[in-house]
Amino acid sequence: MIETVSILSKLATMPAVPSADVLHAVDLSWAGFILWMPLISLVLCGLCAAFKVKTKAPAVITIICLATSFVLTLFLWNSYTQPETIHLFDWLQIHWEEGSFVANFALYVDSLTLLWMLFVTGLGTLIAVYASEYMEHDVGKGYTRFFAGVSVFLFAMTCLVMGDNLLVLYLGWEGVGFASYWLIGYFYQKPSAVAAAKKAFIVNRIGDVGLALAIYLIWTTFGTVQYDEITTVLQSHSYDTTFGGWTVHAIPYLLMLAAFGKSAQLPLYVWLPDAMEGPTPVSALIHAATMVTAGIYLIIRTYPLFMLDEYALPTVAWVGGLTAFFAATIGMAQYDIKRIMAYSTVSQLGYMFLGLGVVTSYGAAYHVFTHAFFKAVLFLTCGAIMHGFAGQLDLRRLSGLRKMKGWKIVSYTMLVGCLCLAGFPFTSGYFSKDAILAEAFVTQGPGFQFLGWLAIFTAGLTAYYTFRVWFRVCAGPVYFEPGDELHGEDPANFHPHAPRFAINFVLVAIALGALLAALPYFMPNETEHLHGGWIAEMVNDSPASAGVPGNNSVAHAPLVEAHGTIEHNIPHGDILGMDPHKAMYYISGVVGFIGIGIALFLHLFFRSSADTLRSKLLANRATRWLPTAMENKWYVDEVYIALIRSPLWILGKFFSLFDKYIIDGALVNGVASLPRASARWFAPLHNGSLQSYAISMVGGAVLVVLLMLFMPEIVSLLKSMNSQAQNIEQVVRTVGGAQ
Amino acid sequence: MTLWLLLLVPLAGAMSIFLAKAALAKWISLGVSTVVFVISLLMAVQFDVWGTSETGLVSHVSWLSQLGVTLDVGVDSVAMLLVLLTTFLTPLCVWGSFSAITARRKEYYAWLLILETAMLGVFSAQDLILFYVSFELTLVPMFFLIAIYGGANRAHASVKFFIYTFTGSLFTLAGFVYVAWQYQMSQYGVWSFAISDLAQFASTSLTASEQGWVLLALLAGFAVKIPVFPVHTWLPLAHTEAPTAGSVILAGVLLKLGTFGVYRFVLPMVPEALVAYAPAIAVLAIVGILYAALICWVQDDVKKLVAYSSVSHLGFCVLGLIALNPIGLEGAVLYMINHGLSTGALFFLIGMMYERYHTRDMNAIGGLAKKMPVWSCFMVFFVLASVGLPGLNGFVSEFMCLLGTFVATDTAAQWPGVLGPEYAAIAAIGMVLAAMYLLIMVGKVVFGKLKEPEHDGAHSLLPSDLNPREIGILVPMAALCIWIGVQPTVLTDAMRGSVEDVLSPYPRIVQEEHGAPQTPIIIEKKEQNG
Repeated sequence: MIETVSILSKLATMPAVPSADVLHAVDLSWAGFILWMPLISLVLCGLCAAFKVKTKAPAVITIICLATSFVLTLFLWNSYTQPETIHLFDWLQIHWEEGSFVANFALYVDSLTLLWMLFVTGLGTLIAVYASEYMEHDVGKGYTRFFAGVSVFLFAMTCLVMGDNLLVLYLGWEGVGFASYWLIGYFYQKPSAVAAAKKAFIVNRIGDVGLALAIYLIWTTFGTVQYDEITTVLQSHSYDTTFGGWTVHAIPYLLMLAAFGKSAQLPLYVWLPDAMEGPTPVSALIHAATMVTAGIYLIIRTYPLFMLDEYALPTVAWVGGLTAFFAATIGMAQYDIKRIMAYSTVSQLGYMFLGLGVVTSYGAAYHVFTHAFFKAVLFLTCGAIMHGFAGQLDLRRLSGLRKMKGWKIVSYTMLVGCLCLAGFPFTSGYFSKDAILAEAFVTQGPGFQFLGWLAIFTAGLTAYYTFRVWFRVCAGPVYFEPGDELHGEDPANFHPHAPRFAINFVLVAIALGALLAALPYFMPNETEHLHGGWIAEMVNDSPASAGVPGNNSVAHAPLVEAHGTIEHNIPHGDILGMDPHKAMYYISGVVGFIGIGIALFLHLFFRSSADTLRSKLLANRATRWLPTAMENKWYVDEVYIALIRSPLWILGKFFSLFDKYIIDGALVNGVASLPRASARWFAPLHNGSLQSYAISMVGGAVLVVLLMLFMPEIVSLLKSMNSQAQNIEQVVRTVGGAQ
Repeated sequence: MTLWLLLLVPLAGAMSIFLAKAALAKWISLGVSTVVFVISLLMAVQFDVWGTSETGLVSHVSWLSQLGVTLDVGVDSVAMLLVLLTTFLTPLCVWGSFSAITARRKEYYAWLLILETAMLGVFSAQDLILFYVSFELTLVPMFFLIAIYGGANRAHASVKFFIYTFTGSLFTLAGFVYVAWQYQMSQYGVWSFAISDLAQFASTSLTASEQGWVLLALLAGFAVKIPVFPVHTWLPLAHTEAPTAGSVILAGVLLKLGTFGVYRFVLPMVPEALVAYAPAIAVLAIVGILYAALICWVQDDVKKLVAYSSVSHLGFCVLGLIALNPIGLEGAVLYMINHGLSTGALFFLIGMMYERYHTRDMNAIGGLAKKMPVWSCFMVFFVLASVGLPGLNGFVSEFMCLLGTFVATDTAAQWPGVLGPEYAAIAAIGMVLAAMYLLIMVGKVVFGKLKEPEHDGAHSLLPSDLNPREIGILVPMAALCIWIGVQPTVLTDAMRGSVEDVLSPYPRIVQEEHGAPQTPIIIEKKEQNG
């Protein structure tokens, strides 16, 4: 007892290391298992593959491991008091005199990490449960491969979110890209799936290069890649200006490149719609709820770096706002419900970036959180429909689902998802979207007002295309055509396979989550001055606390000025004479109703009028381009192929020929043929006839005699040339020396 | 234990193969090369100068004492790592040839062992002449391996390989002799070919223009070997025609002789010239990275694709070598090892495919995941290692090479260099292109609809997946890839002293040539993270 006391008193007198750190360092080492559980699951799945297990064992293993991760995350959240670093093992350490590059395999746990981990592991577990039923056709075939892929993904995503430095984040960043490649290409015999997987990886690689370069710059500028140390250096304003100070302006743009690649923003969004070739649980987990939000996570994590350049955040806002609008217009004109959801994801991610750009990291994080639930439920219902109707996804060939036996849960959970996505008043999507929209009018910035109105208009489009799906598929008269994945069934005699317990359970659970995600908004704040409930609390402890409403700490003074506060009598912006936050409740509510109303008219009451409208637009020369371009996704893929892929391929072909004929042919073989060519020159001399030998002998003798006769002249000639050359050299030297 | 044991055991093994029956050749060869690997491992454990700049395992043998030529051997930590790579890969190559080589077996396995001696000789030589002899001796076994056991165009490929690299290294010899001659002049007629003596002499006593010429002479040989654009054209040809084990050794070790030559001679001997020429070399390396990557993209022959990818990949290694800072140089040495592992394994895999289908044409073959899932798993794994997926080996070295290049500006506080962010940024495009051509290759060969060329059903291996022997070859390589990816610090710590020793004169020279660096604002660092 006495010993313990003395140790504690020693700790208390150690000023350099806070005692809490020392005590917690021991306590929290179990948190590493949040990371290791998916890896254990991967190894066990690998064993299943090696022993050719033909049961659902891989699914059970994965579910148990992921659930353990989730429970551990809950514990960690429960015991959370302040940011902690949990060291797992040394990874990359290069030391030399007076310098080092250190990137350990360590976890950094702050509330932002926990927010992300809660929905990543929680949804991951639920979607694994869903997939255990969804993928049952493939038991004994690809089943193990699928769950191994899910485990890899969860491991990589955990590294990405929990890593304590940018290099572990990079590991996770590329790791989720690889898991995505693995799972999109799950149906590897389908050429379109293989192409989509490849495209996803390569487009993401462009972003990854941006991230790698950003890491180099951050290390050269701040001397570290660890988040907490970057913050320290940043606050002391003592960063390195070896390169003349431009680095801090380049860092945010490189990070943006990475974020836009992973989160499918303009101009790198093209891979996400194609990624729908993967099994639907994958689309729900990776391409809607978790992985694609990594870009937002990255920017929130490095938010202070974005403050170093004046135009960085406005660029984020503009890219986000434009992507939101652009993707929504494409989504309106698609017929494949899964693709509509994919474009909707791109569009919603655009909202999140808009939020980041207009300095509401809180709004962005909240929208990430709610979107994870409602978009997951939308994808999973699409998956259930696809599963039940033999791969049918065309909204023109499905109707009246809610009146069919066994499809009620699917229909109404989908309705919940649609309501949230459309921003129907008092759903979770309504609150999170409004937090972003209002801030666009509050924060002063280039064109933010315009972006705000554009985003409001886009919200209307969103409501329209969302309910276009629901009214077409779930409402109206009962009608269906099966798709082409019949597994040997007769198409004329087709019966839909209604989902069973696992799928229905997960749908209900996530739909409930989507509804309950509105609650955090109303939770009281523990921290003084803070608005925005639980999410604000979670973001406030992170580097992005500047974007949390009510956080007026001195460190963010310049931003607070741009944002304006009521308390400080700085203009706070207004819409139509009202406070933006209040006004937005009405405006976005009204816009949502208009969108839903149009969808109701065109796609439930007068379905033929939608086709009439389309054919009218197509018939008119002046408006024909609009539906055509929207249906063909604005030809962006074609433009990329024409401008980037084809020229590079032609260049490759050209280089290949250049290598063969010029470098190897003309140069290498040319040089190699010189000896033979010169041999051919002299070969005639050795022709074997005595006369010619005699002639050359005489010729040689004459030459020697002539040389001997004129030697003195030749020597003097050479000497004079030499002296002239020396003179010239002298002149050149003096001239050069004079300069 | 002495390094001579390592050098002589394979040679003795080669001799004994000639005495034994042909059927036993492969077993003797496998046994001998495994013994060599075990000996080298024991040496590595005994090796007491890891992490320092010392040379270990030294043994002095005098030879032509009038000319100062000796048979001194010894390795520093970088060379020791490469010795380990060589002894690790050779038994795998022998094992991998069991099914492929059916005719003239005795010679084949004997040549492989002689090749091992020659390669180890290059890494362990402490004497210029011994180095040069070993360097050239590697050509002879490789020539026969390609010329006798290669593909259809083997005669042309082997002659081209031999003459091209031989011509290049003649210039290197000229450079060596010039330095030795100058040394002799300064020492009043006392010759020495000890590498340390000559390096010390050349770096301090030669004028800048002399150093320039020596640099060009040395590079003429080493650049061909690496290979650097535009002297790379022998490589795709040699790779496509070589037998599998030949390709593995070629990519795994022989190319590293070039980069090792740069490390051992160019860096310590001619620092002033290197500082002057580094930007030009870097431009060639970057052109090589992008040029070869684009060529990879349009290849139909899988083996040629991987061969060109070597040209592209080694560009990163060269960048790291001439970044003139420890990150870059350690990354480059790590790159040598990693490229040997991942590209070596890719050549093994392509060989295994070729043994089954007798084609390497991506248009004729596809969707092998259906038929050979185990092979496909390994293929995807090593492609990812090659692409540089973090967590595997390729990432660490690529990252370090590029980081080293990135920070190598003349204004850097410690370790100023002559490259900079622009070089790294352009080279980084190679990362995207690498993902592109390798994944396109995987997409065609591994995934998609099953497409098999017509084959004679007679071959015993035909439609079957990998057998235990083949898995046994790939598993150790895969395990090493993961280990290096997770624990690279073990290797970088091991080579630290040598690397810093080689680089020690550079900061001064760069400062002299580029003016004093600006005083940077010193970064306040937290002492230690928890």
